[in-house]
Amino acid sequence: MSLRKQTPSDFLKQIIGRPVVVKLNSGVDYRGVLACLDGYMNIALEQTEEYVNGQLKNKYGDAFIRGNNVMRNWGHCSPDPEPCCLEYSVLLSPQHIFLLLVAWKLEL
Amino acid sequence: MADDVDQQQTTNTVEEPLDLIRLSLDERIYVKMRNDRELRGRLHAYDQHLNMILGDVEETMTTIEIDEETYEEIYKSTKRNIPMLFVQGDGVVLVAPPLRVG
Repeated sequence: MSLRKQTPSDFLKQIIGRPVVVKLNSGVDYRGVLACLDGYMNIALEQTEEYVNGQLKNKYGDAFIRGNNVMRNWGHCSPDPEPCCLEYSVLLSPQHIFLLLVAWKLEL
Repeated sequence: MADDVDQQQTTNTVEEPLDLIRLSLDERIYVKMRNDRELRGRLHAYDQHLNMILGDVEETMTTIEIDEETYEEIYKSTKRNIPMLFVQGDGVVLVAPPLRVG
């Protein structure tokens, strides 16, 4: 998947339907299939699982995450064997696409 | 009516996350808030800020106390019931159908 010279909205159209990890400012992770996303980074996930240190709760069906809570500032990449693409700071792993929502603003 | 046609056209395209909340109107939902609070209630209204009107709400506040001697974490939760509640949107973290034991 080529990620060069691509607008954020094109990128988002590509990743809709893929498993993702959404990390919140509070440190909680939500793993699920990305159903949709809007300009405020509000996120709808399906088959969502919530991770705080260990697994806490299972949510089935749509989970809506308010955009302001999504982590936007990331001090360092977490260790991950897959290549890190710097244009959009995306870590790709076989099971999940890890969304590092770092320092890019969605302009739609 | 023209409004119905427009609505049909918008549902054919990719729905916004807020559209998916619209499907939960008048249904019971689970809301996770900041400051370790959770709400379970019936969604009567919402807006783009996630301000919500919830009816028949049960609020759960969770605190973690650390025992000074054993250093174990003690989870305590406090519940209260509110017949009708306005929720300020900036405190909302997550909205979902009520949790099922999984």
